[in-house]
Amino acid sequence: MSPVADVIAAFMFGTLVGILVQRSRFCNVAALRDAMLFRSYRSTKALLVGMMIMTFLFTLGETFGIGHPVQFDSGLNTVIGLFLFGIGMVMAGACTVGTWVRVGEGNIGALWALIFTFVGMFAFSMLYSVIHWPPAYGLMDHKVHLRSLQFGFANARTLQDETGIPAVVFGLIQVGVLALFYRAILRREARQKAAATGGSAPVGEEGGCH
Amino acid sequence: MLGFSGRYPKRSAAASEAALGGGSGVRGGSAAVPQIGPIKALFSKTLNPVIALMIIAVADGFLFIIVGAWTVGGGETAMTGFLGKAIFGNAILHRFPYWGKVFPLDPLYWKIYISFGMLFGAFVGALLSGEFYLRLPRHLGEWTMITIGGLLMGIGIRLAFICNISTFFAVTTEMNLAGYLAVSGILAGAWVGTQIYKKALGV
Repeated sequence: MSPVADVIAAFMFGTLVGILVQRSRFCNVAALRDAMLFRSYRSTKALLVGMMIMTFLFTLGETFGIGHPVQFDSGLNTVIGLFLFGIGMVMAGACTVGTWVRVGEGNIGALWALIFTFVGMFAFSMLYSVIHWPPAYGLMDHKVHLRSLQFGFANARTLQDETGIPAVVFGLIQVGVLALFYRAILRREARQKAAATGGSAPVGEEGGCH
Repeated sequence: MLGFSGRYPKRSAAASEAALGGGSGVRGGSAAVPQIGPIKALFSKTLNPVIALMIIAVADGFLFIIVGAWTVGGGETAMTGFLGKAIFGNAILHRFPYWGKVFPLDPLYWKIYISFGMLFGAFVGALLSGEFYLRLPRHLGEWTMITIGGLLMGIGIRLAFICNISTFFAVTTEMNLAGYLAVSGILAGAWVGTQIYKKALGV
C-alpha cells in the first residue's frame, strides 16, 4: 500500500485504541505493577487475552507469508533496554500508550512524562555517537555476533522454515501457555473472593493507573 | 506519579494512588456534553479491559496485514528527531550520526500516526464521557518520579529498538526471539520499579 494509505490505517487504528484504552482504563503498568504489588489482575487479564488473540493471528499470517512481522535482530540491548523501560514506566506510572491516552484526557503530568521520553531518546541519540551500539537497524544481518552482543533473528516463520511445521502450530502452543497463566489468575481471584466473603482477607483492589 | 485519585468514585480506596495525590487539578467546563443512544452506553460506563483488548487485537491483525503490528516507540523516536530538527536545526541534528544512520526521518512514517490517533481517540473518549479536565501532579516527588521515569523509558526504547507495546503485542506475539528477551527485561525492570514505588508510597 502507499505510504499515505499506511498513515491513514495507522491513524484509524490509533484512534480506536485511544477510545478503547481511555474507556476501559487498560494500563500496561498496572498489568505488571498491580499484579506484583496488590495481587490485582484487572489489566493483566486483558494483556494476556490480547496476546493470545494476536499470537494466533500473527503466527497464522506468518504461516502463509501474509503481513509484516518485525525484522530486527535480538541482542543484549533488548534485555537492558526493556529493563530500563520497566523501571521507568512504573516510576512514571504510565507506559507509551498510557502517556498519550492521558495527555488526551488533559493530564499535564503525562505530557511531562512524554516530553522527558523525547529527551531520553535524544540523549541516547547523542550517546550513540560515542558507543555506536546497538548496531543500526540496516546493518543487522540476522546472524549471531557475540562480540557486539547480538543474538540474531528468529520468529515463528523461521521455525517453520527450519522444521517444516507450520508457524501457527507454534503459535497455538504459545496461546496454550498464555491460557495457563490466565487460568492461574482466575483461580487466584476465586480464592481471593472466597477469602473475602469468609471475612478474612480483602479482595485485591481494583488497580489501574487510571 | 500519574495517579488519578478522586476521579472515579466507584473505585475502592486505592491507597497507592491517593498517597501520591495524582488527579488533582482544575475541572474544566467540558463535563456537560450531551450524550445520545448507543454512544451514551459506550461513554457512560467503564468498558471491561478484556473486551477492549479483544477488539484491539483483531484490529491489530488487520494493521499487521496492511503495514505492521501496533507499536509506539518508533513513532516517538521520529517525533524526537523532528523536534530536535525544529529546535536545533538540521546541521546540528546531523552531527549525531544516529539520525541519518540508525533512524532516518520520514514525515510519512506510519508509526507516528498511531500515536496521534491514540491522542485523538483518548481526547474524544474523555470528552464524550465528561472525563476531560486538566490534571496536575501536586507534589515535587511526583514530578521527580515522572521525569526520571520518562527519561528511562526514552533511553530504554532506543537501546532496545522496541517499547512495551511492541514487546507484548508485536514481537512476542510473532514469537520473535527478541520478544522473550524483552519480556524478561521488562518483568525484571517492573519489579525493580515496583520496589521504588513501594518505598515512595511507604506500602
